[in-house]
Amino acid sequence: MTEDEKKFVNLINEHQGLIHKVCIMYEHDIDLRDDLFQEIVLQLWKSFNSFRGEAKFTTWMYRIALNTAISGFRKESRKVKTEDLREKHFNISDHIHRDEREDDFLKLQWAIRQLSEIERAMIMMALEEIPYEEIAETIGITQNNVRVRMNRIREKIKKLMLQ
Amino acid sequence: MEIEDLKTIWKNNERYERKNEAQIALMLKGQSKSIIDKLKRNVWFEMVFTFVSGLCLLFYAITLENGAVKWTSISILILFGVAAFYYVKKLILLNNFDSGKENIKDNLETLVTNLSSYLKYYKRSYTILYPVYFVLSLLFVAVERGMDEFITNLMKTETVLYLVGLAATFYLCCTWLVDWLIKKLYGNHLDKLKRLLAELENPLPA
Repeated sequence: MTEDEKKFVNLINEHQGLIHKVCIMYEHDIDLRDDLFQEIVLQLWKSFNSFRGEAKFTTWMYRIALNTAISGFRKESRKVKTEDLREKHFNISDHIHRDEREDDFLKLQWAIRQLSEIERAMIMMALEEIPYEEIAETIGITQNNVRVRMNRIREKIKKLMLQ
Repeated sequence: MEIEDLKTIWKNNERYERKNEAQIALMLKGQSKSIIDKLKRNVWFEMVFTFVSGLCLLFYAITLENGAVKWTSISILILFGVAAFYYVKKLILLNNFDSGKENIKDNLETLVTNLSSYLKYYKRSYTILYPVYFVLSLLFVAVERGMDEFITNLMKTETVLYLVGLAATFYLCCTWLVDWLIKKLYGNHLDKLKRLLAELENPLPA
C-alpha cells in the first residue's frame, strides 16, 4: 500500500460512521448497502488528490458521499430484499422488549427515509450539527433557503413520527 | 419535538457493522458501479469489438484479389477508423464528469446536461450509421449478383418499393431498438436526476 493509500484508509476508518449513515438512509436494500459503501469509498479515493484541506474533511466526505448516493449510483435490477422498518421494528408484540431510545431512533430513521433524497441530505447534515452555511454550500442553495426548507422538514418529521 | 431532540435521538445510536482497514483497502481495488464508469466500460467494449472486427475484416480483405468486394471491405475499414474518433469523443465527454468538485445542485445540473448530450450524441451517431450500413449492404448484394443484373432489377417498380419498405423497416426497428435500450439503461436515471434538480430549482411552495 502506498503512503497516500494508508493515509486515506486511516481517514475512512476514522470517519466511516458518516458513510454508513448515508448508506442506511439512501439504500433500502440491505445487500446493496455494501455496494453503495464501496462506491462512496471509490469516489472519495478518486477525488482524494483534489482535497486540499480548504473544507473540513467530513464536509468534503459528505459532499461526495451524498453526490454518489443521490445521483451517481445506479442500482442493479434484482430482487429487492428490503428492510421495512415499520414492519420489522414497530411490531406491537415485540415492543416491550426494546429499549425506548432504540425505538425512537428507528422511528426517526424511518421518518427520514420517507423524505425526498434532497431533504434527507439536509436533515442528516443538520442532525450531524453541520452549520447551515456548510449545508447551503454542500447542497448549492442559499442559507435562507436552507432555513425555510429545514423548518418544513422538521414539521414533516414530527408528523411522521407521531403516526 | 424540536431539532435538538432529534439530534439527541440521532446521536444515541451507531447501528452499523464497522469495516476494518483491510476491508477498506480492498475496496480501493474494486470496480466502480457508478453510471459514468458503466458508460465508460460500455464504450471500451464497443471500441474493442470494433477493433477486433476491423482486424478480421482487414485479414479477409488482404486475401481478396482486386475487385468490388475488396474495395467495399476497405471502405468499411475506413468507417471503422472514423468510429475510433467517435469512441474517443465519447470517452472525452465521459471523462468530464467529476462528482467530487461540485455541490449537489451543480453536480445534478452537470450530470443532466452531460448525460442528455451524451445520449443525444449516442442516438444521433447511430441514426447516421443506419443508412450507411444499409447502402453498404446493398452494395454487397450488387457485387455478389453482378452490377448489371442489380441495376436492371433496380429499374423495376416492385424492387424499388421492396427496397424502400426494407429501408423503412430497418430504420424504424433500429431506431426503436436504440431508443428502447437508452431508455432502459439510462432513461429512468436521467428522469430521477431531472426530478431532483427541479426540486432544488423550484421556488419553495408557500
